Amino acid sequence: MTDTVSIVVPVCERYSDVGALYAAYKAGAAALGRPYEFIFVLDGPHPAVAARLRQLLDSGEKITVVALTRAFGESTALMIGFEQAQGEILVTLPAYFQVEGSEIGKLVTALGSADLAIGRRWPRAGGWFERLRRAAFHKFLAAVTQLRFHDLGCGARALRRIVAQEIQLYGDQHRFLALLADRRGFRVQEVQVRQSQQDRFLGAYGPREYARGFLDIFTVFFLVRFTKKPLRFFGMIGVSTFGVGLLLLAYLAVARLFFDQELADRPVLLLASLLVVLGLQFFALGLLGELIIFTHARGMKDYQVEEVSQFPEVSPVRETGTSMR
Amino acid sequence: MSPRPKLSVIVPFYNEEDSIRPMHAAVVKAVEPLGIPFEMVFVNDGSKDRTAEIALELALRDPRVRSVRFRRNYGQTAAMAAGIEYAQGEVLVTMDGDLQNDPADIGQLLAKIEEGYHIVVGWRFNRQDKLVSRKIPSKIANWMIGKITGVPIRDNGCSLKAYKGSVIKEIPLYSEMHRFIPAMASMAGPRIAELKVRHHARQFGQSKYGLSRIYKVLLDVMVIKTIVAFASRPLQWFCLLSLPMAALGLSLFGVGVIGPLLRGTALSLPLAASGLIFMSSSVILLCDGALAELVFKLGDIREKEFSRLTLEVWR
Repeated sequence: MTDTVSIVVPVCERYSDVGALYAAYKAGAAALGRPYEFIFVLDGPHPAVAARLRQLLDSGEKITVVALTRAFGESTALMIGFEQAQGEILVTLPAYFQVEGSEIGKLVTALGSADLAIGRRWPRAGGWFERLRRAAFHKFLAAVTQLRFHDLGCGARALRRIVAQEIQLYGDQHRFLALLADRRGFRVQEVQVRQSQQDRFLGAYGPREYARGFLDIFTVFFLVRFTKKPLRFFGMIGVSTFGVGLLLLAYLAVARLFFDQELADRPVLLLASLLVVLGLQFFALGLLGELIIFTHARGMKDYQVEEVSQFPEVSPVRETGTSMR
Repeated sequence: MSPRPKLSVIVPFYNEEDSIRPMHAAVVKAVEPLGIPFEMVFVNDGSKDRTAEIALELALRDPRVRSVRFRRNYGQTAAMAAGIEYAQGEVLVTMDGDLQNDPADIGQLLAKIEEGYHIVVGWRFNRQDKLVSRKIPSKIANWMIGKITGVPIRDNGCSLKAYKGSVIKEIPLYSEMHRFIPAMASMAGPRIAELKVRHHARQFGQSKYGLSRIYKVLLDVMVIKTIVAFASRPLQWFCLLSLPMAALGLSLFGVGVIGPLLRGTALSLPLAASGLIFMSSSVILLCDGALAELVFKLGDIREKEFSRLTLEVWR
């Protein structure tokens, strides 16, 4: 059953009528011309959705439903879904009408030359402000990661099983799956998919949505900059803070020694000591980070080996293997 | 399974399609006369040219070639670390894939290891590189590395090095440590020797390194020094940071508050507050130290393991 396509649909905060959704996705999956399976993961109790899925099961539809007792978040829901999946190719689809069901084929086809294919809704509906916001978000991410993506928020993806095995998602990381996969050395491809008619969003997002976007950028920034060389990052902040503090102290010392200004009535002294202290603290944090990395360096590898080949004279069998974490 | 080779020659390649064949030939020509079983580990660090194909071709023709292919480009440290991981020899020799090192030197490195040294470092005494952009920064960096880590090596940047396999395989290598392997290995207390080696100007392709950045080197070296000297007693290290601050804070506080109180003059707010800032910071640093102890305790690095790598038992 290796050519089975496993379609995982995590049902989180936002969902549409599953019956109609399933019908749309099923039509798309049927067009693949290969066996497929559907796995719905209920992230927390969604009684209405649960009842509808039961109906589908009772009417003889071949779907798997995994019900989580509380909302663990989309990342966990996806990972649980992947665990249940039988196929070598995994497809994730949002639980609401975001892309046309008929686009599943495009995503799966893209895996011919990639390990992960992520959808990009195009042409995309939305006001100018939304477009601007999205462009700014992805520009910024590109600046931090050197990777150009246009629609990380798209929940439609296709991936090889090995990607799901090697990347352990947690928290809100499902939104960066493409970035994480690339960092781990997988080939990632963006695929243009048609946006669903019902995915039109014309109003403005609430402040929560913006806070989330901002946090996302922050998270990626740390994932990229911090996890390998903590002292480079903290050291940079630390050294500059410390340096400014030291300069101020030097200025105070000169004023005290040569111009006879009493140190006791210089409020600048406060600022200087704060900066010096802060700089040292940053530095100490960086070293702590380095210590964590060092003490776990054996467990983690900086590299992923694709293949080891040697051809011994005795047996012409090619010894290949993929090293995994 | 062929018997364990005596020598492994590890060569990382990154976009070296012109160099890889001559490299292979040169290694074979230099090592075959030594009459020992050897292997070559070619690590292809995500090259975009035909390096991977050529490496596979060489492996097909020569059973002594083991080709390791990365999923993508991970940098030279990773390539060296992978080479060390996949090498099976008793002695490991690493060298650059750009033909600037001369495989003819492998013999003398090997002889030095047989003398009982754990690490033999090549020294490019007549370096064929640009003076201002390569040689001078490297001089400064080497001097700094030697001063800070206490492992004075004249040429840390030379890739041509020989290691006793059992020692180097246990040393954690990560991020950009390849320049500092001897310093990093010093946690196991190895005997290190330095040997003059030949150095050729680049024949093919482009140099992959620009001006080395002193700032990065400095930070890396500090990390190594901290790790080697204090990894097993981090609280001590943080105390070293914390105590001067505590002293400074106390004296500032004394001058700003206690002195005036005794003399009955006005208190000095800036002095007293600065004193408090320094004192509280020293307490936080101590807490960081306690946290570091916890981290070390939960990690998987034990000094005893390192001592085992080089110890000798005399009876």
